Amino acid sequence: MPPKHYRAPGKKKEGNAAKYITRTKATKYLQVSLNTFRKLCILKGIFPRVPKKKFEGNHKTYYSLKDITFLAHEPLLEKLRHKRAHEKKVKKAKARKNKELAERLLNRMPTYKLDRLILERYPTFVDALRDLDDCLTMVHLFASLPAVEGERIQVKRIHNCRRLSHEWQAFISRTHSLRKTFISVKGIYYQAEVQGQKITWLTPHALQQVLTDDVDFNIMLTFLEFYETLLGFVNFKLYNSINVKYPPILDPRLEALAAELYALFRYVATGSTRKPAENQSISSTEEKKDSDEKMDTCVNESDLQLAQLQHQLPSNEPGALMQLLEDSNNDDDDVDQDTIECKTLFKNLKFFLSREVPREALLFIIPAFGGVVSWEGEGTPFEETDEDIAYQIVDRPTQGHKFLSRHYVQPQWVFDCVNARIILPADAYMVGMVPPPHLSPFVDDEAEGYMPEYAETIKQLQATAKKNVMPLPDLDNQDLADPQNLIADGVMDRTQANEAAEERRKLQLLEKQYHDELKMEMSGITYSATLSNKKSENSGSEEMQHKDEVVVPVSTEKNDEDDRAKLYMSRKKRGLYEAIEISNQRKKDKVALLKERKRKASASKSG
Amino acid sequence: MGKEKYEESSSDEEVNSSSDVVEASSDEEVESSSDEVEASSDDVESSEDESSSDNEKVEESDSSEDEVAPRNTVGDIPLVEWHKDEEHIGYDIKGRKIMKQPRKDKLASFIEGADDPKNWRKIYDEYNDEEIELTKDEIKIIQRVISGRTPHAEVNPYEDYVDWFEYEDKGHPLSNAPEPKRRFIPSKWEQKRVANLVRKIRAGLIKVSDQHKEEEHNVYSLWTDDTDSVENKKHGGYVPAPKPKLPGHEEAYNPPVEYIPTAEEINSYELMYEEDRPKFIPRRYLNYRSVPAYDKGVKESFDRCLDQYLCPRTRKKRINIDPESLKPKLPSRKDLRPYPTTCYLEYRGHMGPVNCISVDPSGQWLASGSTDGTARVWEIETGRCLKIWEVGEVARQICWNPSPDRPILAVVLEYDVLLLNSGMGDIDIQTKMKELLHISEPGATEDAGDSKSAVTWIQHEKHDGIRMKHFKAVLSIEWHFKGDYFTTVVPSGDSKAILLHQLSKKHSETPFRKLGIPVTAVFHPSKKKFFVATKKFVHVYDLSKVEKIQKLETGVREISSISIHPGGENIIVGSKEGKMCWFDLELSTRPYKTLKVHSKDITRVTFHRTYPLFASASDDCTAYVFHSTVYSDLNQNPLIVPLEILRGHKPEHGRGVLDCKYHPRQPWLFTAGADSIIKLYCH
Repeated sequence: MPPKHYRAPGKKKEGNAAKYITRTKATKYLQVSLNTFRKLCILKGIFPRVPKKKFEGNHKTYYSLKDITFLAHEPLLEKLRHKRAHEKKVKKAKARKNKELAERLLNRMPTYKLDRLILERYPTFVDALRDLDDCLTMVHLFASLPAVEGERIQVKRIHNCRRLSHEWQAFISRTHSLRKTFISVKGIYYQAEVQGQKITWLTPHALQQVLTDDVDFNIMLTFLEFYETLLGFVNFKLYNSINVKYPPILDPRLEALAAELYALFRYVATGSTRKPAENQSISSTEEKKDSDEKMDTCVNESDLQLAQLQHQLPSNEPGALMQLLEDSNNDDDDVDQDTIECKTLFKNLKFFLSREVPREALLFIIPAFGGVVSWEGEGTPFEETDEDIAYQIVDRPTQGHKFLSRHYVQPQWVFDCVNARIILPADAYMVGMVPPPHLSPFVDDEAEGYMPEYAETIKQLQATAKKNVMPLPDLDNQDLADPQNLIADGVMDRTQANEAAEERRKLQLLEKQYHDELKMEMSGITYSATLSNKKSENSGSEEMQHKDEVVVPVSTEKNDEDDRAKLYMSRKKRGLYEAIEISNQRKKDKVALLKERKRKASASKSG
Repeated sequence: MGKEKYEESSSDEEVNSSSDVVEASSDEEVESSSDEVEASSDDVESSEDESSSDNEKVEESDSSEDEVAPRNTVGDIPLVEWHKDEEHIGYDIKGRKIMKQPRKDKLASFIEGADDPKNWRKIYDEYNDEEIELTKDEIKIIQRVISGRTPHAEVNPYEDYVDWFEYEDKGHPLSNAPEPKRRFIPSKWEQKRVANLVRKIRAGLIKVSDQHKEEEHNVYSLWTDDTDSVENKKHGGYVPAPKPKLPGHEEAYNPPVEYIPTAEEINSYELMYEEDRPKFIPRRYLNYRSVPAYDKGVKESFDRCLDQYLCPRTRKKRINIDPESLKPKLPSRKDLRPYPTTCYLEYRGHMGPVNCISVDPSGQWLASGSTDGTARVWEIETGRCLKIWEVGEVARQICWNPSPDRPILAVVLEYDVLLLNSGMGDIDIQTKMKELLHISEPGATEDAGDSKSAVTWIQHEKHDGIRMKHFKAVLSIEWHFKGDYFTTVVPSGDSKAILLHQLSKKHSETPFRKLGIPVTAVFHPSKKKFFVATKKFVHVYDLSKVEKIQKLETGVREISSISIHPGGENIIVGSKEGKMCWFDLELSTRPYKTLKVHSKDITRVTFHRTYPLFASASDDCTAYVFHSTVYSDLNQNPLIVPLEILRGHKPEHGRGVLDCKYHPRQPWLFTAGADSIIKLYCH
């Protein structure tokens, strides 16, 4: 508690003043600078509150007093003070030109660990997973920043971020828990489901990132510090849960070829098949290899070192890899329907990525949905000339040489397939074509009130696919090598299904009409009255149907009913009601605008 | 050392006496001198065993400087002077005499010189007694020396100074101090310090800096199984940061066309306030490869960080309710019929806004007063105008006597109240009326000094009625239900504001003390009670005791009208802010229900005499019809149901419906509008 001065009886601090403290007072009470306070708040996850009454003015930031007292007992606070004192020593040594001492002191800078803080903030593992969105987005962002010495960010940390993000992706891919993907202008969004928690993160496009000056990197790096630690522990726990040793040992050659992710996949796949005891013995021998290999990755490894390392590699024929992946597929038992669906989406399909396609994203997605993927370059599982490749992902204006046995599709096809959970026909995504619009899987179109045209198409395709779910496996076995045939069949079925659905809908409509008329007759409504009503019904909302009036009086308007009810509400409820109405109206306006634009676009297209 | 000895010996034996070196030069002499040198060298040979080797070394070192060793070894002596008379000029290295060259004839040498083009570069070496031809390089050197430059062009005279001693970290360039002793014996203190460090390292107090590498992967299973089960709740209501909004279709790199704003729309964003402007403008890229890096990526991430540690967090309850569920459950309107819904008749004829209407107790006639200075009586069922009185002034209020056998109309003008015989009813009634409305003596009412000035009862000649002249403008009038008494309200602050009149006696009273400025006053429909409405309160009086029973707090800003339920226990009050209050006198002095009905002033509220209906008229050109059931059971609250909004009047000078009255027996509503029309709404 802040200083306990004598307070006259009855003058005890009460209410908000006893519960909250302003930021200035908090820093004074903790005897730290604002920077340290900020760092503490970030690491401890302490945030300002809104007291019911802002007793010290409206423009101040208030913290919960409990939070601040909680900070006062934080060992980290003491560590940060030590660090500051140590920095002063270094500064002093430098000022005295005692380089040696300064260097020695710098080497012995006090460090702190955040593991206890993580456990404190996330008492259960699920808590940590729930809060992982920001962590992943940040780590992926830093992983994509240029690892250049002399920039504001240490190269070591960028490498660490890269490693952590790849580890996370490898886990997600291995457990097939990726659910949704979305290419946005900002980057690629992914949504995975781990232990029932939906985790969404954003990875920037694989391009040079723009470092702006209006950003305080100290703050971001403090956040990153926490996030790196958190993700490390989370990865550890997750890898443990699938029986893989955590700090993964990567295939150095693949790593050198910037295919860390693929290397991780291989590691994870082999690791999971291995028995834990065996794992232990092997790991001890590999540890040494790991350590010198780590050093190599830190320093950008030269070709010479690469050559030295190559002979240490285990054999990496694609066949062996396939074996491993299949083995790993067989050994899970407790998986839900969703995972099975995801796992089998691209099953038995081989993909090949062209040179120009952003490899990392697709290398992550396709295996996550059960596909096998290769790319152009060294150390790849299979070559471009492989006969079994079903889809080649290309992103260029024209494709010169084409294999007839495979489809050449744009990258968006993969993302759309994943979101729709069916194999979409590749015709619309051919090379050089403008692909159909890319739709966000995070939008609930029905709730939004507007469904884009392509979403409807996808829905129809899904419906037909669902109908065909039973015979599909047979087809799979028969003519997997001939996907053209397969798709043609699918098209046939789809058209038939459409016709059937149309007929059914017509029947339903007729039936409904009959019932309606029957009902009206029972309630004593004349035919002419219904006719007059019908017009207003069609134009207006469905509510009109429930109105029990026969004749609509001239003096009253449609909203009279609303007015009547509104009149009787309490002021609070009325305000709420009006707010809801306004927001609904806004939504409607938005939809109307979309429809209007659509209408204009189609008109200009046809006209 | 050897050279010195040579010089000494040679100087002892002979002195070179050659005067002109050029002349004295001959082959013989050279031979003889060489002999001599040989001989002399023999002499010194024994003494020079050691020194010769030294000499050779010197020669070697000389040759390294690529110069031909001088043949003469006499050293730096004044040759001209000492060897002037000698035949030799000195000795060679072996000690033999070097003979002088035979002198050349001056003329011959001149001729030779003139013939030889290289003569200019020949100089005579006195020491070795020979002519030397200078090479080009040597001449260059000479020229450089003459011009005061360094002899060799490649030599940089201003070379950077390289100190021969390293000063850095030394403090002082040189020290002549002898090496101290301590440099040679092991330090005691160092030994102690090392011992101390060793002890500390062994004890584990100092860690060798190998730990650096271990930190790299300092991860372990943080969440064990028991932490999952432990109730490890967070303190102080931790509020997790809200998750960032998920992207919609418009954020796609290739969104559907309808999500892309047109150029005009984008331009219109410029006109918006910066806060309202959309943060993100969708764009369409035709293929994935053309998507550029997102320039605001880092900034947005940073903003998210700022939000996370700077934004105050509170838990807000977000109610996701159907707006329909907020609506109160009202009984169906169908069950509450009949009530006025449609305009059935219009009574046209007035030339100005109709201020007031009144329905006669039989329900046959409708009286109306207008700003055009007329009062009219209409037949309700046909809409025929029966009678017109030209009152000459604005008729503010009009009121039928509630008693059926007294068809008298009370019309309020500015200062006057006219009591007119409507002329309805049979002959008996008419004769009675004539009697009643006749004032025998004009000064009959003048008894009390106070009330005298308040009201004067005068016979009105033109319309055959009574004219009551008030001291101030009259605001409202209301009959007692029996038809003999009536009250008028004059909005003044004194005790004469409310007047009670008795028609049969033509007598007026002011029984009430002053209570602010009254707006309107009403009699209780059955009991001896009286209601006076001031601007914010309604006072309830007991007429038999003449005392205040209740004071009702309306909570509205300004009361405009008031009406009593026929049961007498409920009243409604309309206000100028469009609010209507329902009071249950037995329940409380505060409103049981306040309804914000109209957007403008309420001009009149009125109850139906027999049907459970009441209505309000307002300047927003609407009249609102309500249903109201008052239960005889005291535990049950009255049921108020809004029924119908009646529209149809047009606004005139900002005024709408000025008055509304119910038909005494039918569920019909009359409304008088500022558009000089009276309307009848029927069920």
